[in-house]
Amino acid sequence: MSKQINVALIGNPNTGKTSVFNALTGLNQKVGNYPGITVEKKEGICKLPRGVKAHIIDLPGTYSLNASSLDENVVIELLLNRNDKDFPDVAVVVSDVENLKRNLLIFTQIKDLEIPTLLVINMADRMDYKGISLDIDYLEEHLNTKIALISTRKNTGIDNLKHLIANYKDISVTPCINASEIDKTYFENLRKAFPNQLIYKLWLVITQDVNFGKTDRKQIEAVDDFKTKSKADLKRLQQKETIKRYQFINNVLKLGQTIDVSQAKDLRSRLDRVLTHKIWGYLIFFVILLTIFQAIYDWSSIPQDFIDSMFTSLSQWTKDILPQGAFTNLLAEGIIPGLGGIVIFIPQIAFLFLFIAVLEESGYMSRVVFLMDRVMRRFGLSGKSVVPLISGTACAIPAIMATRNIESWKERLITILVTPFITCAARLPVYLIIISLVIPDSRFMGLLSYQALTLMLLYLIGFLTAVSSAYILNKILKIKSKTYFVVEMPNYKLPMFKNVAITVIEKTKSFVFGAGKIILAISIILWFLASYGPGEQFNNAENIVKTEYISQNLSNELLQQKIASHKLEHSFIGITGRAIEPSIRPLGYDWKIGIAIVSSFAAREVFVGTLATIYSVGSDDVDTITNRMSKEINPITGGPLFNFASGISLLLFYAFAMQCMSTLAVVKRETNSWKWPTLQLVIMTAFAYIVALIAFQLLK
Amino acid sequence: MQDTLAHLKRGERGIITDVSSIHIPLKLLEMGCLPGNSVELVQLAPFHDPMYLNINGTHLAIRKETAAHILIDKVTL
Amino acid sequence: MNDIIQNILVFIAMAYALGFLIKKFFWKKPNRKKSCGSAGGC
Repeated sequence: MSKQINVALIGNPNTGKTSVFNALTGLNQKVGNYPGITVEKKEGICKLPRGVKAHIIDLPGTYSLNASSLDENVVIELLLNRNDKDFPDVAVVVSDVENLKRNLLIFTQIKDLEIPTLLVINMADRMDYKGISLDIDYLEEHLNTKIALISTRKNTGIDNLKHLIANYKDISVTPCINASEIDKTYFENLRKAFPNQLIYKLWLVITQDVNFGKTDRKQIEAVDDFKTKSKADLKRLQQKETIKRYQFINNVLKLGQTIDVSQAKDLRSRLDRVLTHKIWGYLIFFVILLTIFQAIYDWSSIPQDFIDSMFTSLSQWTKDILPQGAFTNLLAEGIIPGLGGIVIFIPQIAFLFLFIAVLEESGYMSRVVFLMDRVMRRFGLSGKSVVPLISGTACAIPAIMATRNIESWKERLITILVTPFITCAARLPVYLIIISLVIPDSRFMGLLSYQALTLMLLYLIGFLTAVSSAYILNKILKIKSKTYFVVEMPNYKLPMFKNVAITVIEKTKSFVFGAGKIILAISIILWFLASYGPGEQFNNAENIVKTEYISQNLSNELLQQKIASHKLEHSFIGITGRAIEPSIRPLGYDWKIGIAIVSSFAAREVFVGTLATIYSVGSDDVDTITNRMSKEINPITGGPLFNFASGISLLLFYAFAMQCMSTLAVVKRETNSWKWPTLQLVIMTAFAYIVALIAFQLLK
Repeated sequence: MQDTLAHLKRGERGIITDVSSIHIPLKLLEMGCLPGNSVELVQLAPFHDPMYLNINGTHLAIRKETAAHILIDKVTL
Repeated sequence: MNDIIQNILVFIAMAYALGFLIKKFFWKKPNRKKSCGSAGGC
């Protein structure tokens, strides 16, 4: 059996660590989660010379081994646990040539754990540009390591890196510095108490427990005795340690690195002068936002229309080619439209991730965070909440996943809780059809269309509700969490095509296969409930309807429609619908709308499809559904069912209600508790109900 | 009175003298915010907050409340 | 014959969908054994 080498990629954020990972593994990677927590775990396989394989883990970016977030803690947990199956045979610290000094901090810490550690200096192509030269031999000697000087952008040095990984056994494990010098007596006592343990590991465990309090390592439990120092004292020691490490690093770099400042060209300050400017900065951000919206709605409408018609014809084709029967119907009316409901969102999701990946890779996102922090903080959010709120206009699912880099748990939680108020793409089809029914197709002062105005208003309502509920949550949530805010402002970089492409593919895949399975399963169940029913009324529907209309001499087509609608009314879903009807009648809806609403909890856009089925309209043509809907009569008033009052009530209900199982599932995953998704579901839906009720009662 | 980072104006520089306050996250020190290092205020968002700094070549942004705990000596050019 | 096969397939699909949802939302995944730290083993 060939031996597999475990490799851990470690390094500061923005050093191109992920580029190195991509360069080593290509698409031969998978993204999962660490057990029990929501931190992404990226691993891949890399083929090394002579048939050796390396199993590579891309650990979350961190500045040091002193974790302050869940992501960073993963790194320490792994490096402290020699029994972990992923424990690295060799640690590869990725640094970038422009920030070598800062990147070396974590390098010296890992060296102290006596793990073979290799140093990668990335972005070597920028050395000339920045006037930097390195004495690699000198650095290798004084850092006790091997160095791979590479450029993922120019694709140089990767083979050398693979070679060094394969020969990891040659790397010295001698630490760079002696950390115990920061408090000799304290560390001496520690050493006496645990003669078999690595002193630096003990120190990390002690400080880690103080900082994070989440580690459980039975073996060193007795370190409790050594927490004799107060929190402040320990922190002071950590500061001392950091200073000591920087002294060492400065000494090494003094001779190993020369920077000719006169050679350096500075694009960043010129760009920053404009992009973070008090006026221009906001203006440019606004223009970028507009472009993104334009792209998401306009550009993706073409592939979406194509996908839509593809699935419609696929349904038809299935019905034509397979023998008639229940399973054929399930395929044609349940599974294929269900799949279509997932696939149709791929263009939007892909575009969204494309833009976000480009903004992030280029370094611009940090500038937005900088610009928006103050404004967002008024509402209990962070500058970093801007990203999820923008993404939320496409879909709340990726938006909620994008909250991960918010340091403060409170700010992150509030962002997660309010994001579903943002008008997502799935609400759009519902809005469009109802607006076309109940809002007059005329223009305000002959200029602005009332219909467009209503749509804009709905977007505005979504955003304002999100922001004001954040404000309220900020006042009522009593969560103490560190509120510090540190954002690195990385250099501007041209996004690398490979990185962007891999991000878009991976994220889209995880959306399709994650949320997709749920949507598919629900659509199967919905179809089942709508196609089967108990008792005579359902099973004998054909005869009952035929006898009822025997005198009217209906056309065959119309008769079939009547039968289908009778069956539906007595199917499981119809019975449920009529059972819930009393609770939605005050809002101006009948049982069919009720069913459409209930099925919308799988995904909002199901609304139109459900009504289409219920009103037994054969084609998916919006116009026909609209006509059908406008002909529906409210049995109590005798007027049209969809009038101004019930329409507005329905619009408001969709604006506020938490009707998306997939979002709830993601919130559960991200908050690791059922409490928050349950609260979201109950409070948002109750609020939607009350607002819709008031609207209908006032307007009717 | 001792100057803090929060007192810097755009384009001004200082030398960090003390970072021992408990309100300063360790992460900031790790990014190079250490006594003796020079710091330049690159850009300010409206209301003077957050602050975009260049500390010895590392560019980062912090909130004003944190900056107020970092003591500096202003450097007059 | 066709009808029976079709019905069986429907029920399999249904059971599969239900099973999937239940597993996804209500099944508490047994937590993998927590790591136990130091070099000495657990």
